[in-house]
Amino acid sequence: MTEKIKLANKVEAINWNRIQDDKDVEVWNRLVNNFWLPEKIPLSNDIQSWGTLTEAEKLLTMRVFTGLTLLDTLQGTVGAVSLIPDALTPHEEAVYTNIAFMESVHAKSYSSIFSTLASTKEIDEAFRWSTENVNLQKKAQIIESYYHGEDPLKRKIASTLLESFLFYSGFYLPMHWSSHAKLTNTADLIRLIIRDEAVHGYYIGYKFQKGLEGASEERKQELKDYTFELMYELYENEVQYTHDLYDPVGLSEDVKKFLHYNANKALMNLGYEAMFPATVTDVSPAILAALSPNADENHDFFSGSGSSYVIGKAVNTEDEDWDF
Amino acid sequence: MTETKELPANMQGLSYNDLNAMLNLYGPDGKIQFEVDRYAARQYFLDHVNNNTVFFHDLDEKLEYLVKHEYYERETLDQYSMNFIRDLFKRAFAKKFRFETFLGAFKFYTSYTLKTFDGKRYLERYEDRVCMVALHLARGDEQLATSLVDEIIGGRFQPATPTFLNAGKAQRGELVSCFLLRIEDNMESIARAVNSSLQLSKRGGGVALSLTNLREHGAPIKQIENQSSGVIPVMKLLEDSFSYANQLGARQGAGAVYLNAHHPDIHRFLDTKRENADEKIRIKTLSLGVVIPDITFELARKNEDMYLFSPYDVQRVYGVPFSEISVTEKYEEMVDDSRIKKTKISAREFFQTLAEIQFESGYPYIMFEDTVNRENPIEGRITMSNLCSEILQVSSASEFADDLSYSKVGKDISCNLGSMNIAKAMDGKDLEGSVDIAIRALSAVSDMSYIGSVPSIADGNKKSHAIGLGQMNLHGFLAREHIYYGSEEGIDFTNIYFYTILFHALTASNKIAMERGETFDNFENSKYASGEFFDKYTTQQWAPATARVSELFDGIHIPTQEDWSALKDSVMKHGIYNQNLQAVPPTGSISYINNSTSSIHPVAAKIEIRKEGKIGRVYYPAPYMNNENIDFYEDAYEIGYEKIIDTYAAATQHVDQGLSLTLFFKDTVTTRDINKAQIYAWRKGIKSLYYIRLRQLALEGTEVEGCVSCAL
Repeated sequence: MTEKIKLANKVEAINWNRIQDDKDVEVWNRLVNNFWLPEKIPLSNDIQSWGTLTEAEKLLTMRVFTGLTLLDTLQGTVGAVSLIPDALTPHEEAVYTNIAFMESVHAKSYSSIFSTLASTKEIDEAFRWSTENVNLQKKAQIIESYYHGEDPLKRKIASTLLESFLFYSGFYLPMHWSSHAKLTNTADLIRLIIRDEAVHGYYIGYKFQKGLEGASEERKQELKDYTFELMYELYENEVQYTHDLYDPVGLSEDVKKFLHYNANKALMNLGYEAMFPATVTDVSPAILAALSPNADENHDFFSGSGSSYVIGKAVNTEDEDWDF
Repeated sequence: MTETKELPANMQGLSYNDLNAMLNLYGPDGKIQFEVDRYAARQYFLDHVNNNTVFFHDLDEKLEYLVKHEYYERETLDQYSMNFIRDLFKRAFAKKFRFETFLGAFKFYTSYTLKTFDGKRYLERYEDRVCMVALHLARGDEQLATSLVDEIIGGRFQPATPTFLNAGKAQRGELVSCFLLRIEDNMESIARAVNSSLQLSKRGGGVALSLTNLREHGAPIKQIENQSSGVIPVMKLLEDSFSYANQLGARQGAGAVYLNAHHPDIHRFLDTKRENADEKIRIKTLSLGVVIPDITFELARKNEDMYLFSPYDVQRVYGVPFSEISVTEKYEEMVDDSRIKKTKISAREFFQTLAEIQFESGYPYIMFEDTVNRENPIEGRITMSNLCSEILQVSSASEFADDLSYSKVGKDISCNLGSMNIAKAMDGKDLEGSVDIAIRALSAVSDMSYIGSVPSIADGNKKSHAIGLGQMNLHGFLAREHIYYGSEEGIDFTNIYFYTILFHALTASNKIAMERGETFDNFENSKYASGEFFDKYTTQQWAPATARVSELFDGIHIPTQEDWSALKDSVMKHGIYNQNLQAVPPTGSISYINNSTSSIHPVAAKIEIRKEGKIGRVYYPAPYMNNENIDFYEDAYEIGYEKIIDTYAAATQHVDQGLSLTLFFKDTVTTRDINKAQIYAWRKGIKSLYYIRLRQLALEGTEVEGCVSCAL
């Protein structure tokens, strides 16, 4: 567990004018366009709404966010970085550095939420809880152990499951709040994170499938078995974690459906079939619709800028444009 | 609440939130599930509204209770006999009003209806609210109160939020919510502006302020160079003031600031909205607007630099504030005047920067200064707009003593709005009558408003009686009639509709002036008094250009040149009561209650995702849409900017103030495309531009399956 993460052996200057895989450029551009910082969101508009939550709900919210902070930290400082040495193309390396940075932005965003809504004492207690909760620690350990392992494709599997599955027990809550008209600005921020994670999981899963091309049938079977085993292990743990968190407010059943839904998505990103049948993935429509990473929601000037804006491409106007 | 039908088996047990959200998910047959939203509305009443409404045996008991416990204003009811009131409520309830959508009902009960003081139970139904608004605005005039109930419940006229929310309540905010303030280049004026912003926000208003006259960063103070810190710190003060005031009011404080493009701080001003702006200068919730004169376009056309002028020096040289100067007119003169300090930037780069910031934040709004002033029938200069970029009125500066009292009360702007539902108004066939009632209702709001805490506003309102009659549901109407938005027929309709509305609005205002023997202050120096305003209607015939539009106006009188000549004579003789008559606002909340598409925009999406501070995410289907006529609901991103601008241009020529015009782009466009749209809008005679909206579709492979708003 404590050995050093492998670094890339050989570094070459990355030439963006020689592209081997168009997906690298597409995803890079998307990530760059999606760049954001937590300061963009007027979180303080949620202070009043925070005051309407019960103590149990506040505690739950704090815990959920410390859990997410831990996962994002893991993915930012270890996960995405550990994928670099085995990148198939030099541009893929660059994409991972972008992913790593944004994960750190995400981790920091939760602190912005905390500092806006809660007192130092509450924050410290929530962080203490995160180091003491067995299931939370266990999921971090499971993932981390694979990041330190030798098999590059297994690292990608672990990473995809983290990006596309493990985050969502936490994401459920802000989506739930926002569909009940609470903490809507916080939900905006989380939606920006979801927008990023959706691309991350998709991309790492895609690279996994690329890496699988040309492997022997035996190897393919090994990785598939491994994926489902790991998923099952994580799922068991995630169910426990969900009960720990959500039982006091009675939401566990719906959260579990949401886990199933996202487990299937994660497997899909890796190119595998779904594990859970449609009968147990019928997440409440309000949550599902709230997830939409698209940016076409309409809002007024009382509600902050939402998740709608991106960094645009600057192009000079020409004389013909000014022909009047 | 819609017709009661049992919930289908597969929807049993779902909450109204869930049912509403299913609108955004395709059904098993791959079609939009329109029926779920009606179930959601029904379930909302069954599960929530009915259980949480206070019960009264009859109207008398209810009114007595509400007055006694200081929920209703006694004065409002005392103007009428109890018999009349009973009949009026009976009339309202007999109309069998039903909310068409979940959002309409939800919005009404969360944001408008009267609640018990602990906020937990409802005391009003929709019909109660309508009656109280009518009784309050009619001030004892039974005929007017009855007509108002008919117009509002019939959906033809909808007062703006502050009026509809507050009228008749004992504990209430103001009936107007839109304010515009000038700031002059001295500390007293800045301090007074902060105070006024707090006062107006506390009363639920949105405030726009002009920063154009403030001296720039590094300008001298008392002739010592490099002392002023420019407009940014003032923006910070204002932003903090608005967010502070939101803690008290029913709705959040909101503000906008306008700056002339030729102000030396223009780049700093825009950079406050950059994604990577430093926290010290970053502006999060304040809205920005830029005032652009014609000369800026001319300079960009020639690809020249544009000079920025120190407001401090301009004021010293010309003896009037910077905003009172037409930059276009004085440009060469100021460039050649060595007493005026100036800097220069590339005009095209300025436009590009503007578009970059709009990409990142949607801001700034734009006001085309010279277009606005050319079209202004009132004596004086328009130097700014408001939070929604549709109010365009003249103002004049106030002066203050050291203790911040007024040594001269200038003229600042307030505006009360209300919108007509185009589809319902056309169905009603009596545009003259509908407009007359609307103008009287809005004038009543102006008459009843007195904002004593900001004397320049109170004074301005008393002199101008300015109102803004708006329009909404254009796209809903066109689609229902199987006309594409922005098509030849769509534009033809817009032109003739607004032409007719203008005629009736002037007629109504003229009638009020005759009845009361009073016009707005300084009528005699307006283009109405000189008759000049009417030239384009008396010397030219306006008629439908397409058969389809003639057909739509079947049974509705379209004013003729003779009608206009008669109106002209009457106006020149008797005047009009209202300094300003029309302004088309963006209509958020009220268009949901009224089951309209917003303003005269195309829909932003077939199923709109609406996010508002108080509600969270809710889904709204475009009015009248079904799986048969869905093709006519092309959204604004598909329609593209030309058709939207052409439609607005057709309306703009008949509107004395402005129209909120949002531009919609897919995220594949570049800053050049945004610039092209701005050039196009300016050339077409558009007066102002509101937000830039961008739609980014999910990367293929990452979208939520079966989600309506994710589809192209």
